[in-house]
Amino acid sequence: MRKEDFIAKNPLRILIPESGPKRMGLVMARAGLGKTAILVQIALDGLLRGKRVLHVSIGQSLEKTRAWYYDIFKDMVAATTMEDAAGIQEDIHRNRLIMTFNEDGFSKAKFEERLHDLVSQNIFRPDCVVVDGIDFATMERAELEGLRQVIEAQGLQAWFSGRYHRDETETSEVEIPLSCRGYADLFDLAILLRMDPEQKNLVLTVVKDESGATRPGNILHLDPATLMINP
Amino acid sequence: MSKDLEKVRNIGISAHIDSGKTTLTERILFYTQRIHAIHEVRGKDGVGAKMDSMELEKERGITIQSAATYCTWKDHTINIIDTPGHVDFTIEVERALRVLDGAVLILCSVGGVQSQSITVNRQMTRYKVPRIAFINKCDRSGANPFRVAGQIRDKLDLNPVFMQLPIGLEADLKGLVDLVIMKAIYFEGDNGEIIREAEIPADMAEEAAKYRELMLDAASMFSDELMEAVLEGTPTPEMIYDAVRRGTLALAMAPVLMGSAYKNKGVQLLLDAVTRFLPQPGDIENTALDLNDGEKPVILQSAPDAPLVSLAFKLEDGRYGQLTYIRVYQGTLKKGDAIVNSRSGQKVKIGRLVRMHADEMEEIDTATAGDIVALFGVDCASGDTFTASDISMSMSSMHVPAPVISLAIIPKDNKSQINMSKALNRFTKEDPTFKSFVDHETNETIISGMGELHLEVYVERMRREYGSEVEVGQPQVAYRETITRRAEFNYTHKKQTGGSGQYARVAGYLEPLEEGEYEFVDNIVGGSIPREYISACDKGFKKSMEKGPLAEAPVTGVRAVINDGASHAVDSSDIAFQLGAIGGFKEAYGKAAPVLMEPIMKVAVEGPTEFQGGIMGSLNQRRGIIVGTFEEGSYTVVEADVPLAEMFGYSTVLRSLTQGKAEFTMEFKAYRHVPKNVAETLMEEARKKKAR
Repeated sequence: MRKEDFIAKNPLRILIPESGPKRMGLVMARAGLGKTAILVQIALDGLLRGKRVLHVSIGQSLEKTRAWYYDIFKDMVAATTMEDAAGIQEDIHRNRLIMTFNEDGFSKAKFEERLHDLVSQNIFRPDCVVVDGIDFATMERAELEGLRQVIEAQGLQAWFSGRYHRDETETSEVEIPLSCRGYADLFDLAILLRMDPEQKNLVLTVVKDESGATRPGNILHLDPATLMINP
Repeated sequence: MSKDLEKVRNIGISAHIDSGKTTLTERILFYTQRIHAIHEVRGKDGVGAKMDSMELEKERGITIQSAATYCTWKDHTINIIDTPGHVDFTIEVERALRVLDGAVLILCSVGGVQSQSITVNRQMTRYKVPRIAFINKCDRSGANPFRVAGQIRDKLDLNPVFMQLPIGLEADLKGLVDLVIMKAIYFEGDNGEIIREAEIPADMAEEAAKYRELMLDAASMFSDELMEAVLEGTPTPEMIYDAVRRGTLALAMAPVLMGSAYKNKGVQLLLDAVTRFLPQPGDIENTALDLNDGEKPVILQSAPDAPLVSLAFKLEDGRYGQLTYIRVYQGTLKKGDAIVNSRSGQKVKIGRLVRMHADEMEEIDTATAGDIVALFGVDCASGDTFTASDISMSMSSMHVPAPVISLAIIPKDNKSQINMSKALNRFTKEDPTFKSFVDHETNETIISGMGELHLEVYVERMRREYGSEVEVGQPQVAYRETITRRAEFNYTHKKQTGGSGQYARVAGYLEPLEEGEYEFVDNIVGGSIPREYISACDKGFKKSMEKGPLAEAPVTGVRAVINDGASHAVDSSDIAFQLGAIGGFKEAYGKAAPVLMEPIMKVAVEGPTEFQGGIMGSLNQRRGIIVGTFEEGSYTVVEADVPLAEMFGYSTVLRSLTQGKAEFTMEFKAYRHVPKNVAETLMEEARKKKAR
């Protein structure tokens, strides 16, 4: 399959239209369901489309984050027999920068400083930023608001992961989980990842889209074995 | 010496530079009574540590060449290979790991897991070496073994399990709590040789209980017996040791020990752990390739009466003559026996068999499976397999990276010239990553290796050990050329200038070869090129690849296919077809979109966070691609892929940029295309050089 065909057929097009506005998105899931896998697929989609992605990983090592990309890209190539996979991987490597922090080492000020270093010295000018592992429960709302301002000021597309509590998943209601409500309003787009009521399938549901580009209720699936997004 | 295989341990001590492994080895030798006084690496007594036997190592305070030694601890024989800490000498680390059964990974309790530890760990994983971690320098200001254990999990992807806790830290380090026997251990006497057991300090009881529980939880995963005993509240130390050993051998657990080698704390407990948790030779499955059976892998038996299989893993040409370090994997090696080098087929009689202790030795008569010993006067290359004469086996080959940097050396006088040849002959035999050759165009001797320091050390050794003074040229990057698309050729070589003529027509195509350097394919049908000239075509292509037309760099990654041609009954000859192939290669090469390739290094810079922006900028200016950054507290690591050509002099730049507070390591990663503008400059330079 050609890269262009892969991009066009990517199920993520439902969430990220090719010519859509730059937005701030949130993927909500309880621990261990596959938030990182989704963010990496979103990042890879951007990279395949020639975007530059800054991946901020909090609490995960550089090696592990890199391994996510490697494994998911390998699965993508295997599933689609993508042409010139080695060349594409080279481009991915060139257009991606992973920044890792330990759990208590990340802050809006630090992010702003690092981003400034990258952009002002012309080292890396990202189009998209993926932030994985923020503990929203302990982060001040003002910090989050500041983060949004930094992202907006740089004109970036951004995706975050947010964790909700295990006991909030039993409900069949498709809505923003209680523990995410304190900050979900800061995002333009929110997606909920959960086990479906029959516990057989991982379902990704759009629960909020302020731009109206995506219809709330739209559904994608996540293969529990490979963690790949499917229609 | 113990003959009982169960009581033999072949271990390596690997770590980041300056994490104290030579100091630790020195203590091990002292406590096992191999030496009777402790000398520090940069000691004021000027003696230097025992394992740093090379003068240069003593002076620089780093270990360049691994030295083998052995010691006995509680009726166990421990063979130790001290390995270098700098990544330029990685081949030494790799060789050591190939022949060792287990390893101690030393980490600094302040610096934690640094980039070199990651490299070494990756190598240990490649060779499936079970390992225990020793967090050293717990007496240093800023020591934090708990943070280091977290890094072992995150950065090395190991499962660290505390077997001990420190009693006090930094200047207050008093002793250790042994979480198995639940006692406090203090190291007393002038050199910490007296071990005193006492009750755990009351203020640590709760913490010790918590960490013991964590340790038991982890160990129970590997022993049902222990799991049951834990549930019943009756685990014995033996059960715990057994379970931890199983977990370690399965590479599913890394027992964490700690202390301060310099302050003589914790070393004896580490030795206990080596004997308890690391494998005996029989625990490890080693395979060899049966050369009589299509290189079929054969699992070797540690039994002493099985036919001999052994591996020469290190050569040294010291004051005692040529010394070959050998690891016996199967059978017995006896003085007076005749053994066969399976690579050359040469039969060798074992004259002297010795056990090495750094630069001293002990004569022995036999060595059995699991032993590491040395032979005298055996002519072989590093990596050769020696077997009994009735079998033909080869140990799997070791991974040897190709050199990435070279420089010209010019002897200052005639004596230096003679000695330089001797030195190069020895060094190239000892170290497969170090190569030398004479450039026939410039008549210069070129040495190549894995980095600036690697070459620098050999130049220094030439001077010191062989009295050979040489002038050193500018380091040169080992560029390569390759093609990116298929191109056809149909070349006729014709020469008719009196005497016998030359005639050969060679046709076919060149195409990129994804893996490997070169492949020759003969698709000739109907004898358009007679059989006897096929090898001449192959030779011609190979010759063409020695120096590519772009920048005189070796050409790699080419498949040359011949599918047609013509010959003449009188005028065709071997040389005519060689020249025909050279012409054909030239004809196709230009059409095959050739590109220049350069070595890319994986660079890791570690330093204070405040310099992160500057560090990234400095790498970016060097055509580096920043791959990632890692921040922890006030400390940051920037990882980048940078062309080797841009890294010369980087240590000076980094030093001034960070007030000397940052350091970097680099290792070869891959060859990549040189950007067009840089390639043009290089080609121009090559053209000018050729014109001269």
